[in-house]
Amino acid sequence: MFADDETRSTFPGLLSDLQAALDRIRAGIAKFSIEGKIGLFGLCIFVVMALFAPMISGHPPDEITGDSLERPGAEHILGTDELGMDIWAQICYGARMSLLIGLVVASVAGFGGGAIGILAAYRGGLADQILMRVIDVTMALPSLPLLIVISAFMGPSIANVIFILILFGWARPARIARSQTLSVKTHAYIVAARNYGAGSWYLLRRHIFPEVLPILFVLVIGITSHAIVAEAGLAFLGLGDPTSKSWGMMLNYATSFRSIYFTPYWQWWLIPPLVALIALLLCLAFIGRDLERVLDPKLRARRGAE
Amino acid sequence: MTILTIDDLRCHYSTDGSVVKAVDGISFGLEEGEIVGLIGESGSGKTTIALSIMGLLPESARQSGEISYRGIDLSALPEDEMNTFRWTDIAIVFQNSLEVLNPVMRIGVQVCEPMIRRKGMGSGEAEARCAELFEMVGLDPIWMDAYPHQLSGGMRQRVLLAMALSCDPKVLILDEVTSALDAFTRKEIRDLLLDLQRTRGYSMITISHDIAFVSSMASRMMVLYAGRVVEVGPTRDVITAPRHPYTRGLVNSTPDIFVYKDMWGIPGDASGGNGDAGCLFRARCTQAIDDCRRSLPELTACGNGWKVACHRGGIAGLMTARGLTFSYTLPDRRSLVAVDGVDLEVQEGEVLAIVGQTGSGKSTLAHILAGVLHPERGEVHFMNGAVHGGKAGHRFGGIQIVFQDPFSSISNRFTVLDAVREPLDINGIGDRNERLDMVRDALDLVRLPSSDLFLAKYCGELSGGQRQRVALARAMVMRPKLLIADEITSALDVSTAANVLRLLKGLQNRRGFAMIYISHDLTLTLKIADRIAVMNAGKIVEVGNAHDVMLTPNDDYTRRLVGSRIGLCCHEHHTEVA
Repeated sequence: MFADDETRSTFPGLLSDLQAALDRIRAGIAKFSIEGKIGLFGLCIFVVMALFAPMISGHPPDEITGDSLERPGAEHILGTDELGMDIWAQICYGARMSLLIGLVVASVAGFGGGAIGILAAYRGGLADQILMRVIDVTMALPSLPLLIVISAFMGPSIANVIFILILFGWARPARIARSQTLSVKTHAYIVAARNYGAGSWYLLRRHIFPEVLPILFVLVIGITSHAIVAEAGLAFLGLGDPTSKSWGMMLNYATSFRSIYFTPYWQWWLIPPLVALIALLLCLAFIGRDLERVLDPKLRARRGAE
Repeated sequence: MTILTIDDLRCHYSTDGSVVKAVDGISFGLEEGEIVGLIGESGSGKTTIALSIMGLLPESARQSGEISYRGIDLSALPEDEMNTFRWTDIAIVFQNSLEVLNPVMRIGVQVCEPMIRRKGMGSGEAEARCAELFEMVGLDPIWMDAYPHQLSGGMRQRVLLAMALSCDPKVLILDEVTSALDAFTRKEIRDLLLDLQRTRGYSMITISHDIAFVSSMASRMMVLYAGRVVEVGPTRDVITAPRHPYTRGLVNSTPDIFVYKDMWGIPGDASGGNGDAGCLFRARCTQAIDDCRRSLPELTACGNGWKVACHRGGIAGLMTARGLTFSYTLPDRRSLVAVDGVDLEVQEGEVLAIVGQTGSGKSTLAHILAGVLHPERGEVHFMNGAVHGGKAGHRFGGIQIVFQDPFSSISNRFTVLDAVREPLDINGIGDRNERLDMVRDALDLVRLPSSDLFLAKYCGELSGGQRQRVALARAMVMRPKLLIADEITSALDVSTAANVLRLLKGLQNRRGFAMIYISHDLTLTLKIADRIAVMNAGKIVEVGNAHDVMLTPNDDYTRRLVGSRIGLCCHEHHTEVA
């Protein structure tokens, strides 16, 4: 009969956990500063741009819809590039690309790495030792040169870029999740819960995840912006997927246009992707900073003592 | 030679329709020159026994069984023949009260009366004898002309004693003779009685609820509960290692025995019975099992003239630890033996304190006993099951541990409700509402509010004392049979610590669970502990009754521990005894 109770109570239990998490997020946002809120708002705009790109772009990004290097005008809001492709459309689809890469890399590297770190710390023993050495090695490697070498070697494709970014991105969250888990594990409430007969899943779900997840969130934001910059950087160096529409590729094409600075073209060809990139990164930075402030355990402890 | 034998004595009072079994099947023998002590709470039937021996029971009482004095069955004698034995052979000293003496007669006359009537003395002879008796009990003969109300309580008690001694009886029954007296008088009367017993060879039955007084006189002690003997044995054994939970309760309520300890009575009231066939003490017992509901336990011998009436054969063992060893590996790969071959026993319903300085391995031992740590060697048995690999903490009636640091033992993120409900959630006990009720009950127990507002508070917002009580509630919600409290007051300020400690001991007393209390603070543990185990460098160097360990420490380390208390500025500073 106990088993039945357990199955019945798990689902509402999860729901209420989720509810509590949502409440906490709402309360957290309420504590954001003005910059944080601006960041959140800006990020929302980029997300909308990415999601509804086909509707708001007006032109397909990879077809020649106008003359080469048209000035911004009614037909082409931000003008066209050398091939006559609409810049605004490219920015919109580029947001898609940047966010996609950022999201995939951040969630896989952040949460995957975090999960590995939590499990290793929770299990302890040999697995933990091996993991620590692997993390040390991964973090000691100079990532940018290797990134360039490997992507050059593997050939330019989005999947490869994502793969490489994940390969170098997971170590930091894993290490931080591990250390956080280790410190949570020393608390007597874990010992107590285990003494009451709590299984691993219960301990992870009720005690460890809620302690580690906030910190992972902050990290994930950081990884997202890092991934976006790295992708743009690779693309700029010509190591991105040439058929993809990303801000990095746009910059690459624009800067490789001979003597662009002696022409007025840079104003509508080079500036928009640059501004978009900087704006997105700024938004993420604002959010990350505020999240860190809101979720800082020390700050939380002080609040709890009031 | 047995001078007085009582066999299966039963005295039932019938009061309109209901029957009160004041004495229900008591048998014992009194040897010549022996002092037997009868103890028990009020209403346990002590005085009824005395009165039935004297043949002074009221009309409403029905008596059965045999009382034989030197082979003569007193209970079968008609009233006038009984009169010849009263005073001359068996005399009773009543509990001092104004009612016992006739308020309008001079004391001397009242004391002389039995001598004149029984022994046929002349009044002059009787008066001379009376003066002699007064001197014997330490009373100036001039008081013979006084009236009872002119005398103090102690003096009246002496008068009653003189009266009982007047006809030079062989058996003296002392019914609560010292209960109303101050300590000096009490001791004087005690010395006087012992002196009389030595010089004149009286046999005595001492009846009192005052264990200290009885134990200082009697060589054998009988413990009565609801008209039945629950334990009988040599006084020293019964006092120092009581076998029946009731005796232990009485001993624990006696300030003379536990000088330092707070007094806690046995919870509940003595009842005449539960209306069924079960053990009468069941409702107040710390170790009742199903058998206790079915039948009355019989007195069973357990060696050395010691008998106990309990279905579990007396206070039962709850936990046994054998040869526990545990060591930590230090950073430089040396190993530190924290617990070194510890044997320990915990009985049902007792408070065992483990005392030792920091680093003596107490906490490690506590964690091993609770089943949190696995010992390298040795094993722990709890109610016939192994603790390690078992599920002692997963069920009702198991082992629970409360940790030292309340800030670490409860998650900040949890609400009070979540924290206290956690063990129920984990083990899937009850449905949502039942769990909520259990949580509220547990919070009530630890004197925390059980309002919705408090239940929804985050533990991070609570003070240390409140959190420790939440931790206690979390343990109590599992209704433990054994609670291990690991330095639970060390993180709290003195006032909060005192409150938590009293709360804990009160809970223990009321719920009857056994407790292991770990502390470095000897003075504090003396307040609550029945037994103390002193731990040093991983070994238990001394175990014993709390007062014995404190007053007469055997081990050097214990002596140092006792001597290392710091007195207040106005106290004499203790130096190390060793």
